[in-house]
Amino acid sequence: MRANSRLLPAVAFALCCAWAAPSPAFDLNDLKKQLEEVREKTDTGKKKVDQARGKVSPAQEIEIGRNLISGLLGAAPLVDNAPLQRYVNDVGFWVAMQSKRAELPWRFGVIDSDGVNAFAAPGGYIVITRGLFELLENEAQLAGVLAHEIVHVDRKHHLKALQKSMKREFWTDLTVGTVSDKQDREKLGELINAGVQLYATGLDRKDEYQADLRGVVLAARAGYDPYALLDVLTTIDSINPDADQMEVMLKTHPPTGERLERLAASMDGRLDSYAAGKTNAARFSSLAAAR
Amino acid sequence: MKFRSITVLALVLLSPVSAGDNSGIVVREARVYSEADAGSAAVARLAAGTRVEIFSRAGGWKEIYSEQPATTGWVRSYQVREGIYQPDAESTAGSDSRGFLSGLASLSRKASSFFSSDRSRTSSGTATIGVRGLSEEQIRTAKPDFAELEKMDGFASGNKRARGFAQQGGLVAGKVPYISGAK
Repeated sequence: MRANSRLLPAVAFALCCAWAAPSPAFDLNDLKKQLEEVREKTDTGKKKVDQARGKVSPAQEIEIGRNLISGLLGAAPLVDNAPLQRYVNDVGFWVAMQSKRAELPWRFGVIDSDGVNAFAAPGGYIVITRGLFELLENEAQLAGVLAHEIVHVDRKHHLKALQKSMKREFWTDLTVGTVSDKQDREKLGELINAGVQLYATGLDRKDEYQADLRGVVLAARAGYDPYALLDVLTTIDSINPDADQMEVMLKTHPPTGERLERLAASMDGRLDSYAAGKTNAARFSSLAAAR
Repeated sequence: MKFRSITVLALVLLSPVSAGDNSGIVVREARVYSEADAGSAAVARLAAGTRVEIFSRAGGWKEIYSEQPATTGWVRSYQVREGIYQPDAESTAGSDSRGFLSGLASLSRKASSFFSSDRSRTSSGTATIGVRGLSEEQIRTAKPDFAELEKMDGFASGNKRARGFAQQGGLVAGKVPYISGAK
């Protein structure tokens, strides 16, 4: 207190001087102008960087996504069950509506593979394998899995990984916004090829953890029990990791035990008030019985 | 607490010896707490593979009873899996829970007929070793199937349909902020 009261007159004096005789450096208008110039420079700089790093337009993003998901469908077609496919689309769309990118053309599908896995492609294209679907016990668990994939799209994890993997020259002459240009089409083709490789090598681990953590929140927003994703991971964790069906998923994701520990620790106590969310087990199993 | 333990114990003793619907198995080493709260007293530690009875669930917690070692209390939900114990599974009592179920088949809860109509449709393709569809090699080399993509478009939902679906299922959207990493 004493030191402060001694300082006070000095500070007041300094302020008075500054007020009474403003030097050019203190001219507010000048400062504003300078700031604006700096902002303009950073803006143009940013634009250049964005172009160089490949800012993909929404149309291009969707085009990339459609091609990537077609590739997966080429490896494993949709399960031939229209009510099931519509159901998965309803659950997925409802969860996606809780994200910031509700306007995307969200598409979901169950594909005919024994492998336990799920995939997302830019633009809102998501598939889950029959192998994983058969392990699920209720709608909330399905919502949890789809929410994890929705986060990959929402946060543009695949696009960012592609941006990192392609050389800078690649991006410098990719025009923004036009999909029709011939050169751009070739470039898109290159991007799609790189994207396919990404499905075999996987995303950054921190992206997977983020998809878990944000996914449970999206599920809670949609009115589902957010703990359902933990239950799915627990099921996955109890399967023999050497099983063929687990190979690609485990190779492209962090160890399931590590995901469980991290997710549980982060959720601990924070989402308890949403644990009463729906699981809709009856609706989920009646769909199976209706066949 | 003591009263509660006695009640739980009485319930267990009264119930049939062979596990019913509420049986479960510890899949990851679990610390047992006296309340559904990590700040409460830790009363025991259960190894992976321990068989338990599950009494209730609250938030991310399950209330359990274990006969061997004898204890009651709360464990984190993901450490205990609900379901029927597989007596013929290998390495049930290992310190690592992984692989305590011998394969996927034992986990599949649905009749295989659920998807039976599809099996014949796609099995005509090239012979595969291991997983049908989506091995690493198949992902890398598959030809895009745009007809299948159009089919996928046909199943798409939309704002209105999804809202109706949610309403039917009693789902109410709420505001939940994103959470960051561990506390």
